[in-house]
Amino acid sequence: MSSLVGFLSLVFSICINFYILLSIYIFKSKKQRFNFFIRLSSILTLLSFFSLMYAYITSDFSNYNVFQNSHSDKPIIYKISGTWGNHEGSMLLWLSILSIFSFFFSFTKNIEDNFKKLTLIIQAFLHILFGLFIVFTSNPFLVNSILVNEGLGLNPILQDPGLAIHPPILYAGYVGYSIVFSIAIAGLFQNTDDEWLYVAKKWSLISWTFLTGGIALGSYWAYYELGWGGWWFWDPVENISLMPWIAGLALVHSLMMVRGEQAIKKWIVFLSILCFSLSVFGTFLVRSGILTSVHSFAADASRGIFILLIFFIITGFGFLVFLLKEPKKSNTLNLLFINKVSALVINNILMIIATLTILLGTIYPIIIEVLYNKRISVGGPYFNSTVIPIMIPGFLLMSIAPILSWQTNKINNSKKYVLSFIILSILVLIQSYFLDFNTWGFVGLLLGFWIILASIIAIFSSYKVILGIKYFKIINPHIAHIGVGIAIIGITSSSIFQNELDFNLSEGDVFKVNGKTVLFEEVETTNQINFQALRGKFLFDIEKKQSKKIEAGKNYYPVSKMITSEAGILHQWNKDIYFILGDQKNNEWFVKVLINPFVSFIWLGVIIMMYSGLIAVTKR
Amino acid sequence: MNRIIILTPLIILLIICIFSLTYLLSGKDPNKPPSALLNEDVPNFESSSLYNAKEIIKTIDIKNKKTLINFFASWCSPCKIEHPLFFEIQKKYPELYLLGFNHKDPTLDAKKYLENDGNPYDFVGVDSDGLIALEFGVFGLPETYIINEDGVIIYKYMGPITKDILKNEIEPLL
Repeated sequence: MSSLVGFLSLVFSICINFYILLSIYIFKSKKQRFNFFIRLSSILTLLSFFSLMYAYITSDFSNYNVFQNSHSDKPIIYKISGTWGNHEGSMLLWLSILSIFSFFFSFTKNIEDNFKKLTLIIQAFLHILFGLFIVFTSNPFLVNSILVNEGLGLNPILQDPGLAIHPPILYAGYVGYSIVFSIAIAGLFQNTDDEWLYVAKKWSLISWTFLTGGIALGSYWAYYELGWGGWWFWDPVENISLMPWIAGLALVHSLMMVRGEQAIKKWIVFLSILCFSLSVFGTFLVRSGILTSVHSFAADASRGIFILLIFFIITGFGFLVFLLKEPKKSNTLNLLFINKVSALVINNILMIIATLTILLGTIYPIIIEVLYNKRISVGGPYFNSTVIPIMIPGFLLMSIAPILSWQTNKINNSKKYVLSFIILSILVLIQSYFLDFNTWGFVGLLLGFWIILASIIAIFSSYKVILGIKYFKIINPHIAHIGVGIAIIGITSSSIFQNELDFNLSEGDVFKVNGKTVLFEEVETTNQINFQALRGKFLFDIEKKQSKKIEAGKNYYPVSKMITSEAGILHQWNKDIYFILGDQKNNEWFVKVLINPFVSFIWLGVIIMMYSGLIAVTKR
Repeated sequence: MNRIIILTPLIILLIICIFSLTYLLSGKDPNKPPSALLNEDVPNFESSSLYNAKEIIKTIDIKNKKTLINFFASWCSPCKIEHPLFFEIQKKYPELYLLGFNHKDPTLDAKKYLENDGNPYDFVGVDSDGLIALEFGVFGLPETYIINEDGVIIYKYMGPITKDILKNEIEPLL
C-alpha cells in the first residue's frame, strides 16, 4: 500500500513539473498559483520518499527494494537509513532534496518575480530529468513477485550512525548547487540587475556548508570504520566530492568579490554551472558503477547511459546558454599588483587548476581502459604530488587576502606581518629540527600556523573589538581562514608524523605505547542483534588509577556474510591512539597501533569552516 | 580567442561523455578487470612438482605444446566443483598438456585432495607463496588459462568453468 502511494505521488510530482515547465508557453499562470504548484510538487516528492521510508520501518517485504536491502532484525535507525542505503532509494533522496530546495526557494522575497519564476522552471526541468530516471531505471517501488517473510539485509559496512546521516548531508550539498545553477542560467536569460548575485551567494554558501559537512562525515567514517588509520585515500568517490567542493569554494569567494568589482559576473556564472555539473558527474560516476567502491551498489549499463545523458543535457545546456548569452561586458578588472581582487582571482585560478587536476586523475583510468583495454588506478602519489603543490601558493595568499584593500595596492601594517612571518618560520624550523625534519612537514606546519597567526593579527589590528553578533559577522572571513589553518596543521601532522607500532600479543600481555604501559586484557566474542562482535580489550596507561579502556575488533554480519573492522580509538586533544586488532596465529593476536598526532585538529578546523559558512549566510 | 576559451568547457564535456559512453557500451564490468596478459607471452615461471621436489617445470617446458593451466587449492570449494570437468578434457584431448598450479596450500592437504578427487593434471606444480599466480595476474581461485603452441595466452577464465563454458568457449580453442 505504502509503495503504491509512494509511486503515485512520485509520478504526480513529475506531471506537475511538466505543467510548470509548459506554463511559460501555454498557461500564463499567476504568481500565487505558480508557487502553489512548486510547493505541491515538493510535498508530493517528499510524500513519496516518506512512503518508502515507512515501508522500510515496517519491514514491508512486499516491496522489492525493502526485501533486497533490509532485514527485520535491524535496529530502527538502520531501517530508516536503509531507505537511502541503496541505489534506488538514494536517487529518490536526491530528488527529494531537490524538491526541498525548490520549496524553500519559492519563499525567497528580495528577488524579481519573473527571475524567480524562471529559476523555478529550470528547477522543474531538473526535477523531470531525475524523476524520469527514477521511474524508468531505478524504481524503488517495485512489487516483490514472491511472498517472503524476511529481507536480505543492508550492506553491513553502512550500518554506522555516522554513515546513516552522511548521504543526506552530502546530497544536500550536491543538490543545493542545482539552485545556484538555475539562478545563474536565469541570470543569463534575463540579464537584469545584479540582485540575483546576492541570492546566489546565500544558496551557494548553504550548499558549500552542507558539502563540507558531508565530506567530513564520510572522511571521519572512513577513519574509524575502515581500520586503515587514515582519513583520506584519494578514492575516486572522495575525489568526485572534492571537485564540486573546491569549485564551490571558488564560487563563494567570487561572489564575495561582487561587492568590489562587477566584471566577475561571467566567471561566477561559469563556476555556478561547473559546480552543479561536477555534482551530477559525480552522481553519474558512482551510480553507473564505472567506479567500484563502497558506494557502488549495482552496476547497470542502462542506468549509466541514462544518467550520462542527464549529465550531458544539464552541462551541455548550461554551457551552451553561457556561450550564447554571455553576460554584458562591464568595466574591465582593475588588477593591481596585489589587492583583494587580484588575490581572489589568483586563488580562483589555482582552485580551478586543482579541480581539473583531480578530474584528470579521476577519469584517466576510464580513458586508458577505453583506449588500451588496460586497467590502471591513479592513487595517492599522483594527487599528493600535483594537487598539494598547486594549492600551496593559494594558502599563502589566503593568509593575508582578507586584509588587502579592494582598490589600492597598500597593505596596512605590512611590517608587522613580515616580522611575524620571519619569527614564525624560525620557530617552526627549530621545532621541526628537534623532531625528525621533513620538508613537507615543515611547509605544512609553517603554512598552518602562519594562516592562523596572520588572521589573528588581522582581526586585532583591523577591527575594534565589540561584543555582539555584528562583530562576529565582520571578522567571519578571518575565522574561516583560522579554521583552514587548524585543519592544515591537523592534516600535515597526522599524515606526515604518523607513527606505526606492530605487536604480536597473547591475552594478558603488557606492552609499551608512547611511553605508556598498555595491558592486552582479553578477546571477547558477544552476540549483538544482527551481528557477532569480536573485541580485543586494552587498558591504556595501567600505572594510573584511571586507566582508559579501548576496544578494537571486528563485526561479523551473518545475513550478508561480511566482516567489518572496528578500530579502537583513544582520542586525546593532541593525538589519537588508534588500535587495530588483526588475525590470530598460534594463540597470538596481531595488534597494530597507530599514533596519529593532531587528527582532532582536522575535525575542529572543519567545524570552524562550517560555522563560518553559516554565519556568512546570514550576512549580506 | 575569447570564443575558444568559452567553448573549452563544451569540448571537455564532449570528450568526457564520449569516453564514458564508449566505456558503458563496451559492456565492461568494473568488477572484472581485463587481463593485461591476454594475447601476451606466457610469463616466466619455475615450479617444483607436488610429488617430487626435484622435478622442476619451467616456461620452456611447455613450448610447442598446447597447454591448459589451472590454478587450484584444496581449500577452494569452487575448484572442487570444476574439478571433474578436467577429466573430461583429459579424455577428449589427450594431446593437451594439463598443468595444475597448487596455490598457497599445505602439501599434505593438496595431496589428500588429489587423492580423493583424482588427479587430472599431467603435472602439478607447487605455488606455495603465490608468486606464480602473481605473475599470471590471478585474482581469485580457480582460474584457467589456455596457452597455444607459440607460448601465447589465448584464453583466460576467472571462476569455476562449467559445461557450457567448456563447450562454447574452451573447446573451440583446443
